[in-house]
Amino acid sequence: MTIRRRIYLALGFLGALHASVLLASFFAPYDPEVQDRELPFAPPTRLHFVDERGRFHLRPFIYACASSSMPVAACVEDLTRAFPLRFFVRESSAVEKANLANQGAELGASESKRRHWRLFGVDQPARIFLLGSDGLGRDQFSRLLHGGQVSLLAGMLAAGLALGFGLVLGAVAGFYGGWVDELIMRSVELFLALPWLYLLFAVRAFLPLHLSAVQSFFLLIAVMGVVGWARPARLVRGVVLSARERDYVAAARGFGASDVYLLRRHVLPQAFGVVMTQAGILIPQFILAEVALSYLGLGVAEPVPSLGNLLAELQQYHVMASYWWMFLPGAALIPVFASYYALANALQERAGVVPT
Amino acid sequence: MLRYFTRRLLHGLFLVVGVSLLTFFLLQLAPGDFFAEMRLNPQMTAESVAAVRHQYGLDRSVATRYLLWINSVRKGELGFSFAYDSPVACLLWARARNTLILTLSAMLLSWLIAVPVGLGCGARPGGWSDRLCLGATSSLLAIPDLLLALGLLFLAVRTGWFPTGGMVSPGFDDLSGWGKVKDVVSHFCLPVATLVLGTVPVLVRHVRAGVVEVLASPFIRAARAHGITRRRLLARYALRGAAAPLISLLGLGITTLLSGSLLVEVVMSWPGVGPLLWEAVLARDLYVVVGAVMCSTLFLVGGNMVADALLFAVDPRIRTE
Amino acid sequence: MTTQNVTGTKFEGGHEGRPYVSRFSMTTTALQVRALSKTFVQRRMLSRKSIGITALRGVELALQLGCALGLVGESGSGKSTLGRCMALLERPDSGEIWLDGKNLLSLKSSELRRARRSIQIIFQDPARALNPRFSAVELVAEPLEILRWDTYEARRRRALDLMEEVGLSRQWGNRLALEFSGGQRQRLAIARALAVEPRILVLDEALSALDAPLQVQIMNLLVDLQVLHGFSYVLISHDLRLIWRAVDEVAVMHQGTIVERGKVRDVFAAPGHTATQMLLELC
Repeated sequence: MTIRRRIYLALGFLGALHASVLLASFFAPYDPEVQDRELPFAPPTRLHFVDERGRFHLRPFIYACASSSMPVAACVEDLTRAFPLRFFVRESSAVEKANLANQGAELGASESKRRHWRLFGVDQPARIFLLGSDGLGRDQFSRLLHGGQVSLLAGMLAAGLALGFGLVLGAVAGFYGGWVDELIMRSVELFLALPWLYLLFAVRAFLPLHLSAVQSFFLLIAVMGVVGWARPARLVRGVVLSARERDYVAAARGFGASDVYLLRRHVLPQAFGVVMTQAGILIPQFILAEVALSYLGLGVAEPVPSLGNLLAELQQYHVMASYWWMFLPGAALIPVFASYYALANALQERAGVVPT
Repeated sequence: MLRYFTRRLLHGLFLVVGVSLLTFFLLQLAPGDFFAEMRLNPQMTAESVAAVRHQYGLDRSVATRYLLWINSVRKGELGFSFAYDSPVACLLWARARNTLILTLSAMLLSWLIAVPVGLGCGARPGGWSDRLCLGATSSLLAIPDLLLALGLLFLAVRTGWFPTGGMVSPGFDDLSGWGKVKDVVSHFCLPVATLVLGTVPVLVRHVRAGVVEVLASPFIRAARAHGITRRRLLARYALRGAAAPLISLLGLGITTLLSGSLLVEVVMSWPGVGPLLWEAVLARDLYVVVGAVMCSTLFLVGGNMVADALLFAVDPRIRTE
Repeated sequence: MTTQNVTGTKFEGGHEGRPYVSRFSMTTTALQVRALSKTFVQRRMLSRKSIGITALRGVELALQLGCALGLVGESGSGKSTLGRCMALLERPDSGEIWLDGKNLLSLKSSELRRARRSIQIIFQDPARALNPRFSAVELVAEPLEILRWDTYEARRRRALDLMEEVGLSRQWGNRLALEFSGGQRQRLAIARALAVEPRILVLDEALSALDAPLQVQIMNLLVDLQVLHGFSYVLISHDLRLIWRAVDEVAVMHQGTIVERGKVRDVFAAPGHTATQMLLELC
C-alpha cells in the first residue's frame, strides 16, 4: 500500500472513531452520570432474537434483571416481559425524570436533560447495559463513549498546546539565536532531563488536589501542554535554523524583508511538516498520559468520565476478580492507538525519517 | 577526548542541579502542605498545627529550605518524609532496590529476546517471518502498558497461577532461604512480563531496522559475493554494523530504569519507587517527591552520558570530532 | 583575436573579448568601498583560544556607473566576502560603503532597508537561492511584495513582464521553482533582482554552476539587460575565461586586499602582481 493510501486509511479510521465519540450523546443510550443503585455491576445485557417460545423477532429485545438477584454479577432475567430495542428514541426530560424518580434512582448533579435524539434505547424500567454497569449502576457503554470523548479531546488539546508552545519557542530560538536560543535550549534540556511521567507528577503535585471536574480537565490539559513543549521545540528549532541559513532568506532580507515576513513566508512553512508528524506522535502519548493520570486519581475527576477514570475501578480487587466487563474501556484504547501509530509511521516515512 | 567527557560531566551536573531547583520550587508553590489535612481535625488547635509545622521547618522561607535540603543531601539523607517519619534516603534506597530488581531483569530479558528475534526478522525482509514480526510488534505496541499490566493481573486473578500483587506473601519470614527466593520470583514474574512485553516490540523493531540497513549496504553484498555463508554474515557482520544504534538504545534503556515502571508497579502493588512517589504526591510529602524525582533524573542524565560514552567507544567515526 | 600574456597562456576570445563600453563620458562613481575589513571568529566552547580568519583587510574599491567589474582571486582571497559585504548581507568590522553620498553602514534600519534595494546579489546555486515551493511569479514578485508596491495584480503583471525580459515565457508563471532547470532558475533570480531596479548587481559565482553554453547565454542576457536598465555589475568568479568575456575591468584579490585593478585586457596581458600571475598560470 502506498504511503498516501495508508495515511488516508489511518485518517479515515481515526475520523470515524472521533466522530463516534463526538456524537457520544447520540450513540449513548444514557447520560453518563445517571445512576441506578439497584443494578450495580450488572453484566452486559444479552440481546435476544428468539423468545422463549421459539419465535424469531427481527428487532432484538432484552429482559430486565430481576432486582432480587443483585448485586451478584449474574443477572437473572425476568422472562415475564420483553423490552424491544427501540431506535431513534427521543425522551423528554420530564418523562425520564419521572421514570427514574419512580425507580428510586439518583440523578447526577449536572444533568444535561435537553430533549435530544438517541440512537437506541429501551422502555423503562429495563436498562440496556451493552457493556455492563459499574458500582453505581451507571451504564458503562455510555460512560465509555463520553469518557472517550474526554480522553481523546484531552489528548488533542494538550498536544495542540504543546505543539503551539514548541512551535513558537523553537522558532524564536532558531531564528534569533544568541542568548535567547541558549536560554530556550537549556530549558528544553532541563525539561527533557525529567522522565515525562514524573514531570507530569511533579507539576500536577504543585497544583490543588481537589478540584471540580471541569477545572481538573483543563488543568490536566494545561499541565500536559506545558510539560510536552520541549521535544517539538527542539525539532522546530532545527528546521528553523536550517531554513534561516538558506540563500533565499538572505535574498529576501536583501529586499528589506522584516523578520516577521521571513518567518511567515519562508521559515514557518518548513516547520509545518515537522509539526504534523509530531502531532501524530504526541496525541497518543498525551491520551496515554491522561489515562494514566486519571487512573492514579490525578487527572480528570469524578463524576466526569474519562477512560482512565473508568479503569480506576479496577484498582479494587473484587472488581477485577468478578466483573470482567470493566476492562472494556481499556480495550477501546487499542484501536485508537493502533491507528495513531499507523498514521505517525506513515507520516514519518513520507518525511523521509525511518520509522521504527 | 578527556575534554569531551569533562564537558559532558559538567553539563550533566548542571542538569541535575537545574532539575533539583525546578522541582523544589515547583513543589513549594503548592497550596497547602502535608499538614493541611490536620487543620480539619477539630482536636488539633491552630497553634499545635503551627508548632508541628515549625518543628519540621515548613514555616521557613523557600530559599532556606532549599539550602537545608542541599545540606541534607550532602549528609546523605535527602530530606525527611512526613508520612513515614524517616529520612527520605533510607526509604528511597529500599524502594529503588525493588524497582531496579524489576527493571534490570526486564531489560536483560527484553534484550535477550529482542536481539535474536530482530536478527531473524531482519535477515529476510519481506518474508513471512518478517511480516509476522511486524504484525506482532504493531499489535503489541498498540496496547498501552497500563492495559498490559491490568490484563496480566486479571489473568493471575482468574487462573491463580501467579500471586496477584505485592512482592512477598504473608508469612514470608517463616520461609526458608530458598523458599524466600522462590516467593519473590513468583511475585515478580508478572510485572517483569508486563515490562518485557512493553519493551520487546520496540527493541525488535530497532534491531530489525538496523539489520536491514546493514544488509543492504555494499560491503555486505561484496561479502556474499565472496561466498560467506548467510549465518556467518548475520552473526559477524550484520550485528556489528547495527551495533551503534543498539548501543545508544542500551544507554537510553538505562535512563528509564527507575522511572519507566511506575504504572506497572502501582497496578501490581510492587513496592518500588513508583507507588512511593504516587502516595507522596497525593499526601504532599514534599521531600519524598523531590528525592524520587531527583533520583530518576540522575538515572536519566547518567543513562544519556553512558549512551554517549558507549557510542564514542564503539563508533570510530565520532572520535574524530 | 588572441593575446598572449607573460606566462605564455593564450586567451581565445570567442566573443572578441568584451569591448569597453561606458555610457558616460565622465566616470561617476556608483559605489565606493573604503577600508573594509572583516574577520570571522570561531570560538570553541570552553576554550580560551579563538581562531580568527581575516577575510578582508582594508579593501578600497570604486565602482563606476554602468561598468562591469570582474572580481577574481584564489579561494579564500575574500572575493565572496567582499561581494556579500557590498550587498549588505554581511556586516564588516570596520570601513565604509558610500552610495549616493551616504555611508550605508551608518544608516538607521529604516533608511537602510530602503537603501538595500539599490544593491542586489545573485547567488551561485539557484536551487538554494529560490524557495522551491514558490511559483515563478511569486518569486519574481517577492521583492515587490516585501516593499508593498502597488496592488497584487500590478505586481503580478510586472513579474510576468520581467520574466519575459529574461527570456522566460509568461505562461510558466504558475510553475513551481523546482520545475525549472538550473539555467532557467538563474534567469528567475535575475528577474527577481531586477524587480527593485537596483543600481548595482553582485553576481557571486552566479554562472559557475551552469554549463558552458548556458554561461554564454546568461552572460549575453546580462549584457543586454545592462544596456537596458543601466546598472553596474560585479562578477565574482574563479573562471578567468568567463571574466575575459564578461567584464570591462578586473580587480584581483589576494589575502583580503585588492592587489591589482585595471582593464581586463591589460591586466591579463601584463599581470603586475605575483598573485595574478599564479591565477593565470592555473588557467
